[in-house]
Amino acid sequence: MDATLIDAVSKVDTAFKFIFGVSFVILFLITAVTLYFLFRYSKKRNPVPAQIEGNLVAEIIWIVVPCIIVGAMFWYGWVGYKALREAPANSYEVKCTARMWSWKFEYPNGKTSDKLYVPADTPIKVDLTSVDVIHSFYVAAFRVKMDTVPGMHTYVWFNSGEPAEYEIQCAEYCGVRHAYMLSKVVVVPKEEFDKWLNASAAAEVPDEGEELLKKHGCFDCHTTDGTDLVGPSFKGIYGRDTVVVENGKEKTVKADDMYLEKSITQPAADIVKGYEDMMPPFELTKEELGKIIGYFKGGGKPTAKLGAKGAEIAEREGCTGCHSVDGSELVGPSFKGLMDRKTAVTKDGKKMEVTANVEYIISSIKHPSEYVVEGYEPSMPEYGQLSDDDIKALIEYISTLK
Amino acid sequence: MSSNSLSFWEDSGNGRTGIMAWLTTTDHKRIGLMYMYVILAMFIAGLCLGLAIRLELIAPGRTIMDAQTYNTVFTLHGVIMIFIVVIPSIPAAIGNLVLPIQLGAEDVAFPRLNLFSWYLYIGGTILALVSLFTGGGAPDTGWTFYVPFSEFTTTNVSVAVIAVFILGFSSILTGLNFITTIHRLRAPGMTWTKIPLFTWSLYATGWIQVLATPVLGITVLLIFAERVLGVGLFDPNKGGDPILYQHLFWIYSHPAVYIMILPAMGVVSDIIPVFARKPIFGYKTIAFSSLMIAFAGSLVWAHHMFTSGMSDTAVLIFSLLTFVVAIPSAIKVFNWTATLYKGSITVDPPLLYALGFIFLFSVGGLTGLILGSAGTDIHVHDTYFVVSHFHYVIFGGTGFGMFAAAHYWLPKYYGRMYNKTVAKVAFYILFIGFNLLYFPLFIIGLEGMPRRYYDYLPQYQEGHVISTVGSWILAVGVIIMLVNLIRGFTKGEKLKGRNPWGAATLEWTIPTPPPLLNFDKEPDTSRKPYDFQGVTPDE
Repeated sequence: MDATLIDAVSKVDTAFKFIFGVSFVILFLITAVTLYFLFRYSKKRNPVPAQIEGNLVAEIIWIVVPCIIVGAMFWYGWVGYKALREAPANSYEVKCTARMWSWKFEYPNGKTSDKLYVPADTPIKVDLTSVDVIHSFYVAAFRVKMDTVPGMHTYVWFNSGEPAEYEIQCAEYCGVRHAYMLSKVVVVPKEEFDKWLNASAAAEVPDEGEELLKKHGCFDCHTTDGTDLVGPSFKGIYGRDTVVVENGKEKTVKADDMYLEKSITQPAADIVKGYEDMMPPFELTKEELGKIIGYFKGGGKPTAKLGAKGAEIAEREGCTGCHSVDGSELVGPSFKGLMDRKTAVTKDGKKMEVTANVEYIISSIKHPSEYVVEGYEPSMPEYGQLSDDDIKALIEYISTLK
Repeated sequence: MSSNSLSFWEDSGNGRTGIMAWLTTTDHKRIGLMYMYVILAMFIAGLCLGLAIRLELIAPGRTIMDAQTYNTVFTLHGVIMIFIVVIPSIPAAIGNLVLPIQLGAEDVAFPRLNLFSWYLYIGGTILALVSLFTGGGAPDTGWTFYVPFSEFTTTNVSVAVIAVFILGFSSILTGLNFITTIHRLRAPGMTWTKIPLFTWSLYATGWIQVLATPVLGITVLLIFAERVLGVGLFDPNKGGDPILYQHLFWIYSHPAVYIMILPAMGVVSDIIPVFARKPIFGYKTIAFSSLMIAFAGSLVWAHHMFTSGMSDTAVLIFSLLTFVVAIPSAIKVFNWTATLYKGSITVDPPLLYALGFIFLFSVGGLTGLILGSAGTDIHVHDTYFVVSHFHYVIFGGTGFGMFAAAHYWLPKYYGRMYNKTVAKVAFYILFIGFNLLYFPLFIIGLEGMPRRYYDYLPQYQEGHVISTVGSWILAVGVIIMLVNLIRGFTKGEKLKGRNPWGAATLEWTIPTPPPLLNFDKEPDTSRKPYDFQGVTPDE
């Protein structure tokens, strides 16, 4: 990489050292000379003052010399500034959107995160904007700071250097949670970054029960969407009343844990009516069986996963910057116990009580100012850009916070 | 006893007595004192808010207040200190007391307008206080009222900006009054090169007040229009531009810094020669540099906006102009130091406070170079480095200038002297407390501690703890100083002579305390303002 790219920080630091160095000398001289004069020309030591009204030469000297000094200071400062502004053409570009009171970073492939992950030893250019008020993107370690202005795009660039973590702080006052509008630049080795970038979101990581079913090829014969293949669908299988044929006799059983376990380990024992006896027995440990049945309990879709996806969205979209998940008060009401809570609100200046059901929560996300919970400020921005799936995941997450 | 031998305390001149004699007075000395009393009360209020901020920041997390309260406290600290205390402090209080007499005039050019300015000041102050307790709660925007935040916040910003608007008019009218007085009411023989440097500095200040303050008036009215009518000048959702607001705000608010500091420079220029018994070094250079600061200082506003997203060309221009304005300030410091050379120096309290000014202002000015330089400003902008720099300039500069002025001139007006030893002790405590309070903030600012943070990362705590302890020492110094002054002016030793310090300007040639009509005989303008030959202290 071009060596000149690395030293924006060092150019700024050179300006710091030069200005501080010269300033210290000036301050020291002024102070020392003043103290010496106070001592040497005190009334006791010098009872008769001289009558000097000025000295043109002296004054010209201390006009011209400071002009040269500040000229040099200006120049060093400008060189540092230029280095901070001239992003290399091959910079890796990340988009950053600031909002009250969190940061959202978007990568070229559309992935988003609340921390800024960047590959090591790469020039990084961050495109900045804001959706509400002015914030300022500040990473002290890289000497970069730039306001994020609504309706406008600004940028910073820095060289990421060695793998490490650096603090991101909001430097433009933006309201009650300003001091908590923090994040991190996480510099990781290039390979690790690529892996992270291309990994699907955590919410899509399948649960272990599903993994086992895949591993054993179960989905070749059983669907998860209710359609019939060779065997009955997994959709809604758990607890389903099922007509089976046992030793030629029909009977109805409930597909409970025991039945399901038996159907996997000894499939021939009970054959569901309408299906052939084709399934081979599977040797699985008790633990593995438990995971698979856990998957079935979720109706073919694991419940824990939805909560996890919602949690990730809440973090990524900055919801948790204002809404706690543990019942503590931040800027907005806590998510804990929010679902179906009776809530006193104000709508168009009128007070009323509503139940925080799904419709209410959807409207509160899309049009927060419509119903304002008593005791809180109407300061939440509209989150109209969230997809219906995201909102659904959020609500499922909230409903898990009891 | 002729009426002329009564002091302005005894002779109200308007036929009224008691409080009404004060509230309807057009006497510049009484108006000056009325400004001073309100400024003092608001200074103490602002100081308490500042101490509360420091106490909150002694540890991360909540210490004594919640985040919203903290935000309103630092907003109030800023609004009160800047618009109600510092801007009127030296010009309106000390300026009113001293300026007409230094020129050999009986009063300012428009005495009734002068009283009206005071009422505007009181009205603005009351409205600012009203904004705390009404509407959606005290403003939480910071003293800068940056949009779009100040448009969105539900707190009482609309009332607060109207208060600032009214206070601005008070400042404009005072400036206009002083400029006119200096042009029209100089005593015969008081040529431009005989005007004392304090009055010269008020002349330069007056022009800034008259020319820059209207921009502030327009800007805050526009915020009001944005909030009430939703006009959309600054709101990007309606096609407005938030950066435009910052330009308008700083076109006033940077020159306002010179409204604050120039009069303090004038105070120091008047005090140093008196206690060195030697003419000021380079009178014309100092007078001219005040005008240069007023002029160049009006062209540097956007150095507050290097990180705002404005063009690199603008950054280049404003960085360069900012360094230009550093020159006249540096010249003044060198000339003050040179004035001490071969003097015959007595370190009385006024000189001590003036020397404190020179040191603290120099620290503030030199750290300002870091902020003027574009590359370094990006790093320290909106951090505690700026907070510290600003307090060194405004508290260390204007604040100590005001203290120096109080110790220098007020004995003349009260006719009594304070205890000089206590005044010196108070100075040293103040000076130590001040540096403990603000110097660590430079360090944590350089380390990246942003300003206006209610809570902070643990690595910044050490600096915050030292700073908070410093704030307590500073508070002790302020209390000792104020108690000593108040005791001195009510119970202190009466001054018998006219000229306790042996100064050569006209205010020291009239009776102590001054009579209602300042001069009991024609002012003698033959002496240069810093010619001490043949002048001896007459306590």
